[in-house]
Amino acid sequence: MLTSFKEIVEAAKVSGAKRLAVSFVKKKDIDLLSMAAGAGLIIPCLVGDGKAMEDMIKGTPLKSLKHEIMDQKDPDKALSKAIGLIRDGRADMLMQGGHDHQALMDAVMDAKKGLRKGKLMSYISLFQLPKQKKLILITDTFITNNPTLGEKQQILEHAIRLAGILGIVAPKVAALAAIEQINLNIPSTLEAAILSKMSERKQFGKALVEGPIDIDCALSEAAAARKGLRSIVTGNVDIYLVPEIDSGHLMAEALVFFGKMETAGAIMGTTNPVIMNLPFVSDESKIVEIALAALMCKKGGNDA
Amino acid sequence: MFFRRRRGMRGEDYMIRSLDDFARIAKEKGPKKLAVLAPEDEEFMLAVKTSWQKGYIEPVLIGNTEKMKRVAEKVEFDIGGFETIVGDDRQAIADLGLSMLFSGKVAIVSKGQIPTAYVYRSIIREENKAGSGMTVSVVSFWAVPGLDHLVAITDTGVNIKPDLKTKAEIIKNAFFVYRLLGYPKPRIAVLSGQREIGGTLASYRDYQSLREVAASGDLGDCEIVEATSFTEIFLGGRGHPLDYNSMNMEMMPHIVLVPCLDAGNILCKLDFFLDVTRCSLVATSRGPACIPSRADSTDNIVEQLAMSVVLADRMKREVK
Repeated sequence: MLTSFKEIVEAAKVSGAKRLAVSFVKKKDIDLLSMAAGAGLIIPCLVGDGKAMEDMIKGTPLKSLKHEIMDQKDPDKALSKAIGLIRDGRADMLMQGGHDHQALMDAVMDAKKGLRKGKLMSYISLFQLPKQKKLILITDTFITNNPTLGEKQQILEHAIRLAGILGIVAPKVAALAAIEQINLNIPSTLEAAILSKMSERKQFGKALVEGPIDIDCALSEAAAARKGLRSIVTGNVDIYLVPEIDSGHLMAEALVFFGKMETAGAIMGTTNPVIMNLPFVSDESKIVEIALAALMCKKGGNDA
Repeated sequence: MFFRRRRGMRGEDYMIRSLDDFARIAKEKGPKKLAVLAPEDEEFMLAVKTSWQKGYIEPVLIGNTEKMKRVAEKVEFDIGGFETIVGDDRQAIADLGLSMLFSGKVAIVSKGQIPTAYVYRSIIREENKAGSGMTVSVVSFWAVPGLDHLVAITDTGVNIKPDLKTKAEIIKNAFFVYRLLGYPKPRIAVLSGQREIGGTLASYRDYQSLREVAASGDLGDCEIVEATSFTEIFLGGRGHPLDYNSMNMEMMPHIVLVPCLDAGNILCKLDFFLDVTRCSLVATSRGPACIPSRADSTDNIVEQLAMSVVLADRMKREVK
């Protein structure tokens, strides 16, 4: 089981270099790609203005490392080409370059030419706990605004799959809500209860879902006990399933800014890993995202 | 007689920047009569004992007598000298405590081992009976190391999915409480999960509307900052790289309005994860109702009672 960002990077190194396609790469990302290529994680395939990219990597470590440059001066076509490389099996993963988030997502989600695998894509924020040797997953923190129960089921299945890639065989899941009791006026409590019942019936394999559960009970076994909630999930959660995007996005940000906790993320529900530039992911953690993507390629092929 | 929600602050009010300030001032302003709703576990009874020893409170204990006696013995607290009211039914306990607050028999009410929903229900009933027209909402203060002011997160307890009008009322409630801390013009953030993708969230539309309402002066002398996420607050925008060294903690607003109850509860209780301390209350029209979580530690409950004592004192001076 992988328990730290460092272990993710080390494990990915063992899996061998993967081909990373990026269109209109930003200058600030060249150092990151150099580092990742130097560590044996990736072989960058840079799609964009050929001359501009040659100039960009001149004098950087990437120049002397294995890489590929493909000339396509039109940004939209360059993005399509980068995605096409993956669809053709000539690249393994996509990284966001100079395109904005929505343009990237639109291209990735395109039913005919994109990388979407199923009906839903989701985003998982991974955190490395400072006091325990443990990784936690929080989802969905970036993509789905107000998931229906069916969408929550898929988001949860994505997280369980990523937990499996990290070696967490029987993840403990907190289906979060404002309170730990079912309140018919609070939809998140009902949906969490249903997911919990589904877990009881083994509909999520070995994963154990507790819900509804409020954050204090999820985080502290003692706190849960004082509220009369006893479960092996309390105080030892692997996956936090949030009710909706307001909660998820703000929770992830709060951990980053108030807890100064490093985070890395992964998009799920695509044929191949896609790495996004989120504003609250540090440069240091971006290499973890690349390593995680490499691991996702290794485990189950392109089963992102 | 309602607390008059005046816009001005008394000059002699000391500006409260930390929970230590609450503790120090509570010693000066206490003891205040406090109705405690079901202090039936050791952590809570110990908090009552400690708060009484510190001179913050004079407790009126409402709950199951046997349970209260048992836990009092365990924490070596002689409750024989205090008023004790027998009650088993959770709603009846909450109703009684709140009626004591609204009739002026006590200055503060505090939740003990009782689900919060009962307390909120009682508050809403009492406010309706009193005809105050007040929207009931919870303010949770965060004490954050390195920050020179408390952060008031609201609404963390009552309104499940507040509409724009309700959000404006929730802001007014928090504004009133924050001014009691001695801040003439608190800065407010209206949070949203708005990102670069996914269209415009309802919470973001509310932010835009509330900015307009605030600009018109309808929310009082406050400022809604141009930021809906912690990224924007601390990094000055979403396009800037994360660098803890260049993070400006002082950009953190005084009041944070959360989009909905789920988000509010999850955020405010991240103190179980983070190096922050939380204190929660409802500022009713007749005084503070202290709302510790049933999971809170003794030390934290004592801090919350100190906060309530100070705010009760400052609210009292707001009486017309």
